[in-house]
Amino acid sequence: MPQNPGARPPRQPGPARRRVPEPARPPARPARLKAAADRPLRLGSPRPRLRMVGFGLTLVLLVFTVRLLQVQAFDASAYAARANVNRYIPVTLAAERGTVTDRSGVDLATTVDAYDITAAPDLLTPERIKTTGAARRAAALLAPVLGERPAVLEQKLTANPKSKYVVLARRQPPKVWNRIKELKKAAAARAQRKEGADVLAGVNREPHSKRVYPNGGLAAGILGFVNAEGRGGGGIEAQFDRVLAGQDGKLVYAQSGGRQVPTGDVKEQPAVPGSDIELTIDRDIQWAAQNAIARQVQESAADRGYVVVQDNRTGEILAMANAPGYDPNDLAHADSDALGNAALQDAYEPGSVSKVMTMAAVLEEGAATPATHVEVPNRLPRADRSFADDVDHPTWHLTLNGVLAKSSNIGTILAAEQLGKDQEQANQVLHSYLRKFGIGEPTGLGFPGETPGILAPPAKWQGSRQYTIPFGQGLSLNAVQAASVYSTIANGGERIRPTLVRGTKGPDGRFTPAPVPERTRVISDRTARELATMLESVVDDREGTGTKAKIPGYRVAGKTGTSNRVDPRTGRYHGYTASFAGFAPADQPRLTVYCAIQNPTKGSYFGGQICGPVYKQVMEFALKTLQVPPSGTQPPRLPVSYDDE
Amino acid sequence: MSPAARRGTRLGRLVGPVGARRTPFVLLVVVLLGSGLISLLLLNSALNQGSFELSRLQRKTTELTDEQQALQQEVDQLAAPDALERRARELGMVPGGNPAFLSPDGTVRGQPSPAGDGTVAYRAPAPAGPGPRPALLPAPRPAAVRAPAAAPAPPPAGAPARPVPPPAPAPALVPAPQAVPTTPTSGR
Repeated sequence: MPQNPGARPPRQPGPARRRVPEPARPPARPARLKAAADRPLRLGSPRPRLRMVGFGLTLVLLVFTVRLLQVQAFDASAYAARANVNRYIPVTLAAERGTVTDRSGVDLATTVDAYDITAAPDLLTPERIKTTGAARRAAALLAPVLGERPAVLEQKLTANPKSKYVVLARRQPPKVWNRIKELKKAAAARAQRKEGADVLAGVNREPHSKRVYPNGGLAAGILGFVNAEGRGGGGIEAQFDRVLAGQDGKLVYAQSGGRQVPTGDVKEQPAVPGSDIELTIDRDIQWAAQNAIARQVQESAADRGYVVVQDNRTGEILAMANAPGYDPNDLAHADSDALGNAALQDAYEPGSVSKVMTMAAVLEEGAATPATHVEVPNRLPRADRSFADDVDHPTWHLTLNGVLAKSSNIGTILAAEQLGKDQEQANQVLHSYLRKFGIGEPTGLGFPGETPGILAPPAKWQGSRQYTIPFGQGLSLNAVQAASVYSTIANGGERIRPTLVRGTKGPDGRFTPAPVPERTRVISDRTARELATMLESVVDDREGTGTKAKIPGYRVAGKTGTSNRVDPRTGRYHGYTASFAGFAPADQPRLTVYCAIQNPTKGSYFGGQICGPVYKQVMEFALKTLQVPPSGTQPPRLPVSYDDE
Repeated sequence: MSPAARRGTRLGRLVGPVGARRTPFVLLVVVLLGSGLISLLLLNSALNQGSFELSRLQRKTTELTDEQQALQQEVDQLAAPDALERRARELGMVPGGNPAFLSPDGTVRGQPSPAGDGTVAYRAPAPAGPGPRPALLPAPRPAAVRAPAAAPAPPPAGAPARPVPPPAPAPALVPAPQAVPTTPTSGR
């Protein structure tokens, strides 16, 4: 444009305009001169004014500088921090909780996505929505989806009309939210067409994770549950909470107007998911055990019952069932007495089941053999009372094998007395064996709330107690300890510490096996074999107490127990504990099954009668599941009694 | 007038070449600014497009995860032992009794016995839906078909072990339990 010659003419007025003030100046000058002539003093020196202005400007600039220094230098970090609070948004990245699986990898506890459904009651007030009954209509729409009564939802929506937030339902599956979303869309469309108010506008969701137990109440006692904060509240969930929980991550990003600034810096610390835990439990055997014990507890109108199935060659617990149980998916309706794992948390007097430990001591110490003759009178006066067997009988002439088969208390006392030169020494020897079998010490599972049972030191075995302990009264244990005693005998006298966890699988997918359980020798292999054949007589012999546990085709070893039970509420003997423990096949043991039922009040209360069938059912199922064929050998059938003279 | 005109031409001469020299610079600046603006626009829309894509994929991931979890839960519920037992009973099956094993050489280990002979007291805890009676009806047919084919060995072993004179559906059920626990290969 400037090259254009046509542009030159407009420029020319420039100098002309510049010349304009020239003629204007002459009149101004005379005016000023005239004023100066009138009052020559008015024209002050500009210096003070300049100084004043300069001083003012300096002051202002000084204030600015001070403020600048204050903001930029002294308080800079505080302001920057305050700015960052708004600019950077920290988000917690929730770590996924590990799953708990059974020994074949079937999920027993897993985590899924879920949503809390929330609403804003203040949007439903008549003033806001300009219509009445909005809460009722919203409740009616949501009730069928949330599976809740409309009245309950309406109550929640109207309880506090000023509230902007109320949770309508917790931990709902995504399916529910999808249906609510459709309802919301329909309601919004109707409001658009002016056919009604949008009563669902305030309904929203909050993502949450939810712990689910796909098999319902199966193994609930072992698994435990997760509380509202997502931490383990019992069982394996509590014991391995730190392993399962993983580590939450953190994401910090710069935001503007609620959106992430794409070029802003992002600090991300990814979440470390929790490890998976593989239990030694076999889901199918656990189910069979739970089913069998639940039925028997119900039939006998008992307080509770437990079944423990253990692989005696590895010490792994294949099933640990409690009845009554609970459904960890629905804790709100669970009986608080049933929460927990009674098989490890109840200590009770085992009764005759523990006679096998006395027999083990007697045989191992060489005090007697299975064929030793024992004359069993009807009454035996010891300490301050006279002991009896469960039935009155003429004097029995039993072998030691027969004492166990017929579960004679008197015979057991007489045998235990042979353990030492005097009663005190006998007590000490018996105590050492009981300890070696794991009585009175924790099982080593580390399970929360586990009881070690009670076994007094021999110095405190006074009065009648020293005579009752040999047949299982006056000491207490839990169901896993009892099962472990029989597993020890089944395993040739070597005790393997029970285990419940096979290993953990980290987020990298690498499997870390649990530490190998320790093994301790309790009795010799020969003694263990002798005991096994004696235990066979219990089940196999016509006169044995455990004939109901017989499994045709198999050699089964077992022992019944019927003990006086200490009522946990009164602390006095009241009712019975019925139990049965055994293993099969007797000559090549694979499995130990222990069953106990507390306070059966209906029908029989004898261990052989009510726990024997449970043992048989569970053992049959477990043998089939693990495909254990019968050994095919004939039982030796030791004599139970001898002819007098 | 004439000095002014002379001054004007002098200024004009001064301005002219300067203006001509400035033109490419101005153009450059304009082009730079324009291209900067356009590239910023492109960058922004690319970023936005990326974030739309991201949120779309995230939504899809959530949807698919939800679906996967829902299906997994359904499978788990159907595969739970309780559910399996109920289904099996609806099909007329009963728990097998004593374990018995058929070896490859034809010998039977264990004592086979008819299933559901009453000594084993498994029962479904109040089966939901159709009662056990009508569900038992279709059972004899498949069992009877399987009897001669799948279990030729057990009947002679089972028959003398326990002669059972049960009501009509029972004999048809006899071979079924043997077929379940009989494990020819891994049993020993």
